[in-house]
Amino acid sequence: MSSIGMLVVGAPRAAAADVETLLTLLPRELSAPVVLVLHRGPHDALAAPLGRRCALPVVEPDDKDDLTPGRVYLAPAGYHLLVDKGSVALSVEPPEHGQRPCLDALFESAADSYGPRAAGLLFAGHEDGPAGLALLQARGGRVAVVGEDGEGGGGQDGPVERLSLDTVGAWLARLAYVPRAKVQS
Amino acid sequence: MSTGTPSAELESIEVDLLLEGVARQWGFDLRSHARPLLLRRLRRHLREERLETFSELQARVLHDGEAMDGLLRTLSCTPPSLFSDPDFFRDFRARVVPVLRTWPSVRVWHAGCGTGEDTYALAILLQEEGLWGKCRLYASDSSEGLLADARTGVLPLPGEDDARRYVEGGGKGTLTDYYMRDGNWALLQPKLRDGIFFTQHNLATDGSFNEFHVIVCRDTLLTFNRTLHNRVHGRLFESLARFGFLCLGRKESLARTPHAAAYEELEGSGRIFRRVE
Repeated sequence: MSSIGMLVVGAPRAAAADVETLLTLLPRELSAPVVLVLHRGPHDALAAPLGRRCALPVVEPDDKDDLTPGRVYLAPAGYHLLVDKGSVALSVEPPEHGQRPCLDALFESAADSYGPRAAGLLFAGHEDGPAGLALLQARGGRVAVVGEDGEGGGGQDGPVERLSLDTVGAWLARLAYVPRAKVQS
Repeated sequence: MSTGTPSAELESIEVDLLLEGVARQWGFDLRSHARPLLLRRLRRHLREERLETFSELQARVLHDGEAMDGLLRTLSCTPPSLFSDPDFFRDFRARVVPVLRTWPSVRVWHAGCGTGEDTYALAILLQEEGLWGKCRLYASDSSEGLLADARTGVLPLPGEDDARRYVEGGGKGTLTDYYMRDGNWALLQPKLRDGIFFTQHNLATDGSFNEFHVIVCRDTLLTFNRTLHNRVHGRLFESLARFGFLCLGRKESLARTPHAAAYEELEGSGRIFRRVE
């Protein structure tokens, strides 16, 4: 078992192709659920195309569905997706940064209910996301940003690790293979 | 630890105390709400009220009923416009209305109506389908403040998007036929407004108050945790006549609710269920 209870991924629409690539890199043996928010319009069909080349099943969950390791949960159009200790909580709060689903809501909820047991990955390029990722980092989560977005990133809790599509695979592999000795309860 | 960002632990303590106080003072038990949603909305409310901590919010809402109503208002998420989910209204027309036509009278309950946008949309639909005369439409919410807004029958003036969604939802006339414009506001036809029974009802604590042929409860139970969610589904079941319809939100499920086996989902509809037992 890895020490990671959950991997949360947030990406703006412009990074959709990169997210598809990321999903192909997910290790089969990732023993945690992956929760993904991608900015989307009301009529985008995303789960099928994103799942095409992914080793793990990609599903759009219903409210209160359990989160199962080894599955990718994609936020449905028109709902914020939050996580609540092992299950999904959907919300129809107003859009934030013009987006529903929004990235901050996912990262913030992961920070609240998983804290150091969550790992967070943000694809750069949108104003939505950095605040939530910073909260996750402040609560002890392992976080990284993929891509460049001008700002240096990182706040009072130190710099955020920067990755590219070439290095994100190694980062994911490190999540999956944490030595047992490092496992925290 | 800077003063601006309380630790997770301290914040959690403050939230627990706030919820305990609200439950004991006002009878609204927010402890059985879905925690992540609640936390986010409480934080948003704190920012909007320009307060620093949940302890300050606690002091305010315990002593001031209006502040409490403001909090409940923040927690509610009424759709912002008429026919905001046209697919639902289209499915309702196609799948539910033909059955309702065959019944002599129909009682409809819109549970969690908020400020009434979907209630009025439903009323317009029932009128267009020729069912208004034999329907009694009840709409309930736990917040008196929201209900007071709903009862006025005044909405922000619908725009082009609303008119388009109305048509997508199967609208047979013109949306502007149903209201009078007053500046940036729309005054809904008194015939619609006066035919709706708005009533205060808290799904979390109040029992069944009638038997209904249709219950519309869409995205309202998202805010509850699983335990309360299942308990409320028990109440909805008790309130629904056999062969009646239960309309949920697009991503709400009956799986693992106590009476799941008593319902059949209408195929190809967005989560419209029929009680068959």
